[in-house]
Amino acid sequence: MRPLVAPTAVSGAPPMQRLAFFEREGPFGYALVLPAILYLTAFIAYPFAMSIWLSMTDASAGASKWNYIGLDNYSKVESWELIANDFVIFDGDKAEAQRIADQHKDEGKVVTAPDGDRFKASLQIGSHTIPVVETNGEDDATYLATTILNDLDWQVHGGKVVAHAADSPISFGTFEKRGDANDARKKSVLVDSTTHLKANGTGVQQDPNFLLAVKNTLKYTFGTELVKLFFGIPCALLLYKKFRGRQLLRGLLVIPWVIPIAISGQAWLWILDSTYSVINWLLVHAGIISPANIFNFRGDANLAMFSLVVVNVWRGFPFTTIVILAGLTSIPDEIIERARLDGANALQRFWYVMAPMVRPILMVSLLFSVVFSFTDFNTIWIITRGGPYDQTQVLSTYAYQVGVNAGYLGKGAAISLFLFPIMVVTVFGMLQWLRRENM
Amino acid sequence: MADVVLDKVVKKFGETEVVAGIDLTVRDREFCILVGPSGCGKTTTLRMIAGLEDVTAGDIRIAGETVTFKPPRDRDIAMVFQSYALYPHMTVRKNLAFALELRRVPKAEINKRISEVAEIIGLTPLLDRKPRQLSGGQRQRVAVGAALVRQSGVLLFDEPLSNLDAKLRVHMRVELKRLHQQIKSTMVYVTHDQVEAMTMGDRIVIMNAGKIIQVGSAMEVYERPATRFVAGFIGTPPMNFFEGEIRNGGIALGGDVQVALPRAVEAGRKVTLGVRPEHISLHAGKPHAAKVPSTVEVLEPLGNRTIVTARSPAGVLQIEAEANPGLKPGDAIELWFDMSRAHLFDQASECAL
Repeated sequence: MRPLVAPTAVSGAPPMQRLAFFEREGPFGYALVLPAILYLTAFIAYPFAMSIWLSMTDASAGASKWNYIGLDNYSKVESWELIANDFVIFDGDKAEAQRIADQHKDEGKVVTAPDGDRFKASLQIGSHTIPVVETNGEDDATYLATTILNDLDWQVHGGKVVAHAADSPISFGTFEKRGDANDARKKSVLVDSTTHLKANGTGVQQDPNFLLAVKNTLKYTFGTELVKLFFGIPCALLLYKKFRGRQLLRGLLVIPWVIPIAISGQAWLWILDSTYSVINWLLVHAGIISPANIFNFRGDANLAMFSLVVVNVWRGFPFTTIVILAGLTSIPDEIIERARLDGANALQRFWYVMAPMVRPILMVSLLFSVVFSFTDFNTIWIITRGGPYDQTQVLSTYAYQVGVNAGYLGKGAAISLFLFPIMVVTVFGMLQWLRRENM
Repeated sequence: MADVVLDKVVKKFGETEVVAGIDLTVRDREFCILVGPSGCGKTTTLRMIAGLEDVTAGDIRIAGETVTFKPPRDRDIAMVFQSYALYPHMTVRKNLAFALELRRVPKAEINKRISEVAEIIGLTPLLDRKPRQLSGGQRQRVAVGAALVRQSGVLLFDEPLSNLDAKLRVHMRVELKRLHQQIKSTMVYVTHDQVEAMTMGDRIVIMNAGKIIQVGSAMEVYERPATRFVAGFIGTPPMNFFEGEIRNGGIALGGDVQVALPRAVEAGRKVTLGVRPEHISLHAGKPHAAKVPSTVEVLEPLGNRTIVTARSPAGVLQIEAEANPGLKPGDAIELWFDMSRAHLFDQASECAL
C-alpha cells in the first residue's frame, strides 16, 4: 500500500504530525464554527441564563447585593392576611337581637382578660358577654374588639346581630402560608365570622397589572393574527390574479412591512392624536359625529387596544399576504386546471385544493407572526406606552416598565421569562402540527 | 358516441397566431395522436378541446354538441396532465373520488368505480397512500386512474409520459394502448415524441406552426409523408435529405453525384431527395439502386444493427447497416440508394412529388 503521506525530504515524526493536523478537517471545522459559538454564547446563551438568574433574585436598581429568593418573583402568593368582613355577634331571639344591637353604642364595652398564655377580648353589652377575639398580645385583642364594637356597622338580620365591615375589613396580621392563616383564624376569632384570605405578596402573578398584561398580550397577539388572516387571504387571492400593475401593487403592499415602526409609528401617533386626529376630522366634517364626541383613540382603554391591533395589522398583514401569495404561486397551474376539469367552481377550488396546499406555508408564516406579535415591544411603546393607566400594557412593555423604569430587575426578568414557556408550547404545538401535515 | 370535431379553430395569443385554423374530426373511440415539434400548437389545441383555453375563432363539437363556450366541467372530458396534477394533500382514493364527489355521484357508485379502475391499472394496494409516497410511474397511473373514473366520453392526454424514464415510458406506452382497447372512450393524445405517436395511435395528426400537415395511420405517414417536414419528423434515425435538380432523367446532387430516378419528373425542377437510412445499403444488387461513393465517419453499434454516419460528395448521411459491417472510420465505401423507396420533395413548396 502506498503511504498516505509521502515520505519526502521532511524527515522525522514531528513535522509530519503538524502537517497531518492541518490536513485534518475536524480542527478546521471547529475553527470555522468557533465565531458562531462565541457569538451565540455571548449574546444569546449568557443573557438568557443571566435573566433566569436575575429572576430568582431580589435584584433592584441601586442595590449593591442580590439575594437569592428562589421562585418568589414568580410565585402567586408570598404572604397572606386574614380579613374579616362580618362578625355574627349574637344568634337567637329576634327581640333580644334587636336589644343587643340597640344597646351596643351606649352600653357596650370591651373587656380583655388573660387566658392562659393569650389574651381574650369580650364585648359586654347589657347582660351579655360575647367573646370576640383571642390573640397573643393584650393590645391587639383590645384593639380588634374595640374596632368590632365601635367602628363596625351593627345590623340585625332576623335573630342575628351582625357587625359588618363595609369599608375596611379587619386584618389579623400577615401569615406565610394559607394553612397558618387558617389556623390563626380558628384560634383567634371566637365569634362566627365571615372571613377570607387576602394575598399581599410581591410575586408577579400577584400583581393585577401583570395579569392584565398577560390578558392584553393574548388579546393583542391572537386578535391581530385573526385579522391579518382575514385581510391577508383575500388580498393574496386578489394579487394572485394577473392584471396590469400587479407588480407595482405587490411592491407597494410591502411598504408598511419595510418601514421601521419607529417612523411609521410617528405617523400613527398623529392619526390617533386626541386633538388632531385625521380620522376625527374626517368624521366630524362628514357630519357623522359631532365635535363633542370625537374619539380619544389613545385615551380610552378599549380604543387604545383596538388602535394597537389596527397598527399591528397594518404593519403585519403585508407579510401574511406575501407568504400566502408565495404559497398560491407555488401551486402548479395544472392542479388548478385539473380542479376545473373535475368540476370545482371557484369557491370549491379554493376550499378543497388551494387552501389545503397553502396551509403548511401559512402555518409557518403564522408561527413567525405569532412570535413577532407576542414579543412585540416597539408598536405598543410608541403608540400607547402601555397607557392609559396600564390598560394596554403587554408582557414585554410591562417587563420593561417594572424591570428598567421601576428598577426591580429581578421581577422584570421574571415577567419577561413568563413569555418563554408560553412561546415554547405555542411553537412546539405548531411545529408538531406542521410535521404531521407533511407526513 | 363521443367524436370530437374541430371546425376552423383559431387561437391567437395577442398578435401571435398559435393555432391557424385547423379542421379535424376525431372519430368515436379512436386513439388520436397530435404530434409535432414544441410550439406547433398541439398542446394549445388539446387545451381548447378541454376548455382551458378560449377559442379565438371556429367551433369545437364533442358528440355532436357545440362546446366552444362551455366551461371545462360541462364538457364530457377528462384529462391527464404532463405533471400528473395530483392533489398532494389527498390520498390516492380521494384523488380518484374528488371529481365524482363534486358531481354528487352516490357514495356506493364512487367506491364501485374506484375499485374497478384501481383493478384495471393496478392501483389497489396504493389507494390509501399520498402522492408523495408514490414513484413516478405510480403517480402516472393515479393520474390516468383519476381520468378513467370519470367515465367521460373523451380522454385527453397532455404528454403524459414525458416525465418518466425511458424504460418506464416504453412500458406505459403498451399499458395505455391496452387500456384504450379495454375502455370505450375516445382518446386524444398530445406528444412531441414521434416514436410514441407511431406506436400508440390509430391515427396520427402531425402539426407544425399551428397547422395540420398530415393525418394518417403510422404506416401511411411513414411510407407516404406529405411534406419534407413530415418525412424528417417521423422515423429514427431521421431521413437523409439531399438538395438537387432533375437532369437527364435523374437527379444531379451536390458534388457531381448523379442518381437515376425510377420515374419521370420534368427536367430542371429543383427538388429534395429523401432516403431513409434503412433504404441505403452497403451492397449492390437491388434494382433501382443508385451508387454514391462515401467515406465512413462515425460508427454507432446498437447490437442488432449499426448506424453508420458517412460523408458523400452530396452531403453527410446516415445509414442503417447490419450488426457487424466490418468498417472503421476513414474507410472509403460505396453506398447504394434504393431509389424505388426514395422520396422526392419540391424545394419551394416542400410538398411530396
